Amino acid sequence: MKTRRLFLRTALACASLVGALGMASAQAADPLRIGFSMSKTGPFAVAAQEQLAVYAMWKDEVNARGGMDVEGTKRKVEFVEYDNQSKPDVSVRIYEKLITDDKVDLLLAPWGTPFQIALTPVLEKYKFPVVGNTAASVALRQVKAGYIWFPTSAIPDQMAVELVKMMGEQKVKSAAIVSNILPFSKELKNALEPELKKAGIEIKYSTEYPPSIKDMTPIVAQVKNANPDAVLVLSYPSDSVLYSKQAHEVGISSPFQFVAVGPSTAAFRDAVGASANGVITMGHWSPKRTEWNGAKAFQENYVARYKHEPDYLNAALTYMSLQIMEQAVQKAGLNKEALRKTISSDTFDTINGKVKFQGVENVTTPVAFLQIQSGQLELVWPASIATSKFMRKTAQ
Amino acid sequence: MSVLEVLFSGQLLFAALLTASVYAIVAVGLNMTYGTMRLLNVAHGDLVMIGAYAAYWLFTGLGIAPLWSAIVVTLACALLGVLLYSGLLKNLMARAGGTARLEANSLLLFFGLSMIIQNVMVSVETATPRAYQYLSEIHRFGGLSMTGNRLAALAVAILACLAIAAFLRWNIFGLALRAVIERSDAARIVGVNVEQVHKVSLAIGFGAAGLAGVLISMMEQFSPFIGFSMTIAAFIVIILGGLGNIAAGFGAALILGLLETYGVALTSPTLRSVLLYGVFVLTLILLPQGLFRRRLGP
Repeated sequence: MKTRRLFLRTALACASLVGALGMASAQAADPLRIGFSMSKTGPFAVAAQEQLAVYAMWKDEVNARGGMDVEGTKRKVEFVEYDNQSKPDVSVRIYEKLITDDKVDLLLAPWGTPFQIALTPVLEKYKFPVVGNTAASVALRQVKAGYIWFPTSAIPDQMAVELVKMMGEQKVKSAAIVSNILPFSKELKNALEPELKKAGIEIKYSTEYPPSIKDMTPIVAQVKNANPDAVLVLSYPSDSVLYSKQAHEVGISSPFQFVAVGPSTAAFRDAVGASANGVITMGHWSPKRTEWNGAKAFQENYVARYKHEPDYLNAALTYMSLQIMEQAVQKAGLNKEALRKTISSDTFDTINGKVKFQGVENVTTPVAFLQIQSGQLELVWPASIATSKFMRKTAQ
Repeated sequence: MSVLEVLFSGQLLFAALLTASVYAIVAVGLNMTYGTMRLLNVAHGDLVMIGAYAAYWLFTGLGIAPLWSAIVVTLACALLGVLLYSGLLKNLMARAGGTARLEANSLLLFFGLSMIIQNVMVSVETATPRAYQYLSEIHRFGGLSMTGNRLAALAVAILACLAIAAFLRWNIFGLALRAVIERSDAARIVGVNVEQVHKVSLAIGFGAAGLAGVLISMMEQFSPFIGFSMTIAAFIVIILGGLGNIAAGFGAALILGLLETYGVALTSPTLRSVLLYGVFVLTLILLPQGLFRRRLGP
């Protein structure tokens, strides 16, 4: 009997010891689980690439330095990621699952404006803060402030004002507008038209085209015929390439050529070649601003890992959002309310300089423009952060 | 630009012919597989994509000029067609039991293949669009200017179409192929080796798709997802021309190319899809056999 009791007691002691040890080790190695949905398949898979690439790179960077700092404790990062098939409603359901079922510690944003806007009600409902990134639209301002923030400064209405200012400085008197019918392009077009009118710039030719366009020869022929000082191409990545190649073919010689989405990627420069030089595009980041926190290192690490330059717009915005989240968690920990307050009120030090939010908007980063010069992207507007001077585009 | 300027613009004619000739070689392959075997190859566009990547790898990796690699890629894709036939399609056709069943089965099979091909390509190459610079100098002839790669692509595509047309017209095997398209059973009775014809038509079809891919890669940016829109364009061409009617397919491709360029130039780019699909739907309603009805009906 005695032996049996002793055995039981020993067994119990052993079991509790093992349990305690197990718990202790689990606590020390407990990784930080970060969830997100991404357009890995479907029509936006191409566009979402860089964001996913930056997430993956950041995770490895953080884990290489021992993990993410949560109020002084380093915790390794683990991703819980799902494909949303490029459907915002699927993405929303994934985030609900991530919060309620997977019970992740933090969330990262999905790709793109419609996905990030669609996510907002879920964040409100579960009081879960997320730093947005690759979203830009005047509609962002309608998003209720509180649980999401957008670091972009490329919001169409502000961009239109600055672009027309820049055109004024270059003595542009006439322009042609070639616009995709997708929402971002339309917003930019709607904002540009009154600004051009105000500045007395004549619109010599204006047309819209669908995203399915395969041949732009009829459009570039019309633009060449109109011979404006400026061509404003309000395009998406694939039609940006199409326009640039075909404009080069027919020899459009307008000295000011703005191409909205795409030229900030390495893929654009690879596809268009030397005739990409002189193209102006949206973007507010440059690795040449070495005073920005980690700007140069971000570019170098990205190039070492992916063998091409990061997208100066989306890749940079994605990394900014991660830096903001990291700095907020370091200070406020994982408590959602504390995190929300910190992100809403603090100033963050990012690869694009200081960022501070007012409502959902980043109010410190200026609207800026990049220009491709000798195959390199240079900030040419505004002067306060410019890395090079504007150059007139030549036909060749 | 006035209507006359549009109609007499060499630039637009060049663009229209180029679009048409690329559509033609993509569609001819799809048409052959359907015509001879009643297989609905919805993965056809993905072959075009593979051809584009193959040319890209050969050019950026080994420095082989796309006009040379066009030969290699065409042959490799043709071989792929033969292997696919021996390994998979022959069985599928033997077991299908009935044309309708075969069409449905092949549709599902190729849809699955298409998904697999796309996703394998994404994991190999990522979804980042690729492109390279080749013959990007501009040639000017009066008011007409043409990028070297587009000019070369047009020449190769037209040559390929002519070669296929000549093969079908004068070569004994080409005649057998047409016989199988028109009356498969009768062709078998008069001694045509139908299996051999199937192999050859797949080889030509796949080869043409690979070639189209090489040409597209010279001119445009491409990603693992370009296949689907290619397949759709090819389907429109062959339905316009009449399923299984090879020569009419060339005519339909030309109509589509002209429509895409001149239609857009004379109306508005936003009407592009309305024009293309409008003509397509009208054809289906008014001429269900295609614009160019075959004289030999079933």
